[in-house]
Amino acid sequence: MAKKLLVAGMAAVMAMSAVACSNGNNNGSNASPSDAGASPSASESAPASESAPASEAPKDKVTFTFFNGVAGEKDLNTNETTIGKLLEDQTGVNFKIEHLVGDLNTKVGTMIASNTYPDVMIPDAAIEEVLKAGAFIPLDDLIEQYGPNIKRVYGPYFERMRADYGGKIYFLPFGPQVGDYMPDPNINQGAFWVQRRVLKEAGYPQIKTLDEYVKLVEDFVAKHPDEDLTGMVSLTHDWRFFATSNPPMHLAGFPNDGNVMVDVNTLDAKTYAGSDETKRWLKTLNDLNAKGLFDKSSFVDNYDQYIAKLTSHKVVGFFDYGWQIGNAQNVLKDAARKDQTQDDFVYFPLPVTFDGTKDQYLDPPGWTSNRGAGITKSAKDPARIIQYWDNLLKEENQVLKSWGIKGETYEVDDKGRFYRTAEQIAKLDDAFNEKFGFKTYDWDWPQYGTSSTLSDGNALAPGYQPEVFQMSLTEGDKTILEKYGVKTYAEMFDTPEDRPWFPAWSIPKEQGSPQQIWETKKDDLTKKYFPKLVLAKPAEFEGIWAEYQKEFGKLDTAGYETWYKEQIQKVVEVAK
Amino acid sequence: MEKNTALAASTMTPKPQPTGLRLFLKRLVQQRMLVLMSVPFVVWLFIFKYVPVWGWTIAFQDYQPALPFKDQKWVGFHHFDALFSEDRFLIALRNTLAMSGINLVLGFVTAITLALLLNEVRKVAFKRVVQTVSYLPHFISWVVAAGIIQTTLAPDGIINELLKWFGAIDKGQEYLFLGKAEWFWGIFGASSVWKDVGWNTIVYLAAITSIDPAQYEAAEMDGAGRLRRMWYITLPGIRPVIIVLLIMNIGYLLESGFEPQYLLGNGMNVDYSENIDIFVLKYGLQQFNFPLATAAGMFKTVVSFVLLFSANHLAKRMGQDRLF
Amino acid sequence: MANSASAPKPRRLSRRDSSLGDKIFDICNYVLLTCLMIVTLYPFLNTLAVSLNAASDSIKGGIHLLPRDFSLENYKYVFRENTIFTATTISVLRTVIGTIVTVFASAMVAYTISRPEYVLRKFITIAFIITMYINGGLIPNYLLIRDLGLINNFWVYILPGIIGVFNLIIIRSFIEQLPESVIESARIDGAGDFRTFFNIVFPLCLPVLATVALFTAVYQWNSWFDVFLYNSSNVELSTLQYELQKILQNSNTTSSAESAFANSANGSAIKVSPLSIRATMTIVAAVPMIIIYPFLQKYFVKGMTVGGVKG
Repeated sequence: MAKKLLVAGMAAVMAMSAVACSNGNNNGSNASPSDAGASPSASESAPASESAPASEAPKDKVTFTFFNGVAGEKDLNTNETTIGKLLEDQTGVNFKIEHLVGDLNTKVGTMIASNTYPDVMIPDAAIEEVLKAGAFIPLDDLIEQYGPNIKRVYGPYFERMRADYGGKIYFLPFGPQVGDYMPDPNINQGAFWVQRRVLKEAGYPQIKTLDEYVKLVEDFVAKHPDEDLTGMVSLTHDWRFFATSNPPMHLAGFPNDGNVMVDVNTLDAKTYAGSDETKRWLKTLNDLNAKGLFDKSSFVDNYDQYIAKLTSHKVVGFFDYGWQIGNAQNVLKDAARKDQTQDDFVYFPLPVTFDGTKDQYLDPPGWTSNRGAGITKSAKDPARIIQYWDNLLKEENQVLKSWGIKGETYEVDDKGRFYRTAEQIAKLDDAFNEKFGFKTYDWDWPQYGTSSTLSDGNALAPGYQPEVFQMSLTEGDKTILEKYGVKTYAEMFDTPEDRPWFPAWSIPKEQGSPQQIWETKKDDLTKKYFPKLVLAKPAEFEGIWAEYQKEFGKLDTAGYETWYKEQIQKVVEVAK
Repeated sequence: MEKNTALAASTMTPKPQPTGLRLFLKRLVQQRMLVLMSVPFVVWLFIFKYVPVWGWTIAFQDYQPALPFKDQKWVGFHHFDALFSEDRFLIALRNTLAMSGINLVLGFVTAITLALLLNEVRKVAFKRVVQTVSYLPHFISWVVAAGIIQTTLAPDGIINELLKWFGAIDKGQEYLFLGKAEWFWGIFGASSVWKDVGWNTIVYLAAITSIDPAQYEAAEMDGAGRLRRMWYITLPGIRPVIIVLLIMNIGYLLESGFEPQYLLGNGMNVDYSENIDIFVLKYGLQQFNFPLATAAGMFKTVVSFVLLFSANHLAKRMGQDRLF
Repeated sequence: MANSASAPKPRRLSRRDSSLGDKIFDICNYVLLTCLMIVTLYPFLNTLAVSLNAASDSIKGGIHLLPRDFSLENYKYVFRENTIFTATTISVLRTVIGTIVTVFASAMVAYTISRPEYVLRKFITIAFIITMYINGGLIPNYLLIRDLGLINNFWVYILPGIIGVFNLIIIRSFIEQLPESVIESARIDGAGDFRTFFNIVFPLCLPVLATVALFTAVYQWNSWFDVFLYNSSNVELSTLQYELQKILQNSNTTSSAESAFANSANGSAIKVSPLSIRATMTIVAAVPMIIIYPFLQKYFVKGMTVGGVKG
């Protein structure tokens, strides 16, 4: 026992001196991001001098437990993956990851009540409770001591992080923006989608307004009476109901801030669940339904049924977020890859607003302030964890975790641009990504935001790199993008305005707070009334709307909006 | 028989009759074997089932899981007030009672009927096949089962197709079964029966084996038909089990399950599908509100006891077998 | 014994003599039961078909009784990790041990509370029944298990569930149905309570014990909530159902297009989807329970025991 302690003590001393070294080094090269980028083989320049002392220190191997409150990937030891092994070689640290399987609050509740935590945890939606229980240790001093790279990457957000949670940094959210903003070339967020053949037949018109969109769909169905087509469907299943309740916000020209539309100038936060925007959207659906163009079963179908409908070739258009229709779109694209004519049925995203004004579908650089990873009070050696995170945030390791190993999973051309060969792309299937560690390090760690740019101008995310994106395009993709005179799907949309609070839904709310109760009750109300409103006879629409307004009026919406405005003002204040 | 054992006991105790506590202790010593066979499990019962009941105090606290018991803030009946002042809770209560009532009646009738019918099947192989097949849906989780039910009831599902085929409806008039709020209880009842009738039958089949075959022979001699035999022999033969299960289930009237309602529920039928458990999930657990969930649990327990003791008492009065 | 040998005789007789009414009854009965079979077989066949169908095709819906695009990929995906085999071992262990312990303990206690002379009978019966309707709640239960040292411990699967009240009561009802003479005669032979229970009552209760064994086995086999609460951080103690839950969640993220890092930029074909994995895990988990049923059935398909002993 004594011997063990001695060894541990020595290790700690050595670790500290090693860090002191690297600290010193880093001070000298504070502008390391740009330095590092000078050559793509980054390991020879500035970051190398940072990592060198660390590797000289013969660190004990140590394994930390890591609970991830987001259900997901396989449970594993990080050193079982290629990336994780390399990181272990650098730091001596391995993480044993456990993902949530059942209910989050149940699991976190038992941890809090028994006061036993894993070393590191991502409490996801239960973060407020974990903080309230004092389970996370403040990281400020540790970062000061061991975290030059954390300071570099997270520095601009420190004040906000402290403002959000009582003056200290208790956890590191994921994905601060580093370098230039690189938009996602694909549309993974909201859009009005339509079958490509519809646009082809109409001669690739510019579709900007909701009326134009509806007319496009209507005309197409009218022209193909014997195909048994459905004009529009809408996803409503369970928590995915927002795919039906969010469009008014987007149609009015706002990004996905959740339940509020925030005026960029006045910072007024306005809810829309009971507003005229929602009324207009539902009235549109109601009209479509009256004409037999809306699929009534939208309100009873589950998610699987919805996806099946999107692959059936019968649905002309719908609103949804790209990430929810991935499976359907992939099936359609696969078919199109095999048979060019099938390209007609792939869906194309359109930037539709009520009146053709500036759209804000694309996410601005975001900061999800109420999600992240923290070190718990049960952790034996927080310094090692912070050092691991700091090491991971070195640019070379950010390249490693998102691009992989040069010559294996990516190449560099003579201009220093990263790309992938067709063989490499083919190799990167699910099993490979898992084994290599791409999946493990995909998210859930302190890391650069997805839309970040490396200091040499390459995109952090391979999928965002134009070279990689171009290779993913089929002939059909190229044709339609060319018709619209754009290179990426994102170019169809307006550029996002700067919104430091985005996404507003991530502004911390206490569980069981009036704000949360408002949201739960609002969800109950909208889920109950929206189907009634859409499926009503047009003459009855106004009556039901009035009834809905009456019920909605019982909620303290003004209080909710005021609270939001205050929070947003706070964020903007701090961001200045 | 009571007399017999009493006699046996008295013959074993020739000395002056002890009374009260002494009598009790004396009998306890006599019955030490029975005590030995049961009391360890009573100890187990207290540890595992009664000790955690201290948790009911949570319902009266502004409970913070991180704090020790002595530091919790007491709030009296606040959470009960919150529960009962909510309109939706009352609707949920109604739905719970309706659905478990339907389930109770349908579940019993169908399972007992199936057991009776199976008992009349003479071909052992057929009987076994029916039993095994009807037991299969129990092993399909509600998530998968709900998917199948939703597909079956969809406008392009098999039920609507059949209705069209029979000419009951025209194309374009397909029913949105899960969108008709008032039909939800029926759909729920039918789904539950479909999923669990085979499973629920097992216990009655086991009970039927305890019926003396000689009774059937005698009835047959008397020329009793199949239906009469079912009615006069089989049914009375399993009556004790039926009554005991019935009483236990009446105690469960506030437990109507959670998954089917949650999975088949949607905005259109919410007024009929949301039950207490869903309500508690939404406003309790999902909001990290353990006290509210505990309060709802206590409320259910109280109602259960009232129902249980009434049902048991009623059975006693009617001269039937009873639970205790 | 003599009785059970003679039992089939009157039946054969009745079949020859069966009246018209009996025949109609039989026909109706067979038709009804066949309908029931069709309705209850469908979900299983449907699930089987989906599990044997390529995930990318199942997404399109419309699979009924037969796979459309036959594939074993879903099964490969479920069985790709070794953990599933160790987890199966644990599942089998907890099922076997849990069932034996429960059947024996429940039968023993049921016997004691079926004895009319037992002074603690009413007390014990009510003490047990009450627990059916009370529940201290999640956190108190968790703290109890922790204080008993059962976290990350195999016995947490067995100990909290030794006796189910439902099982206890149906066994008691069954024992009460037994002719008192059986027990009396054992007593006259000088057998104590334990011997009476073990040698006489236990064997007579086989039909109901088979039922309880089935219920317990299915419960043990299917449960994963206790793994989730108490043993989730110890893979060695994971069970089949829990591993299947993990695989299902894994398939959720695998299939989602959310991953902004989209490392494979060609939107490669979908290999798994939650829909297919759910179907596959249903089959994988259900088959063992479906196989054991016919073995237990023989204990209660034919009316045996009682009449035989009585004679």
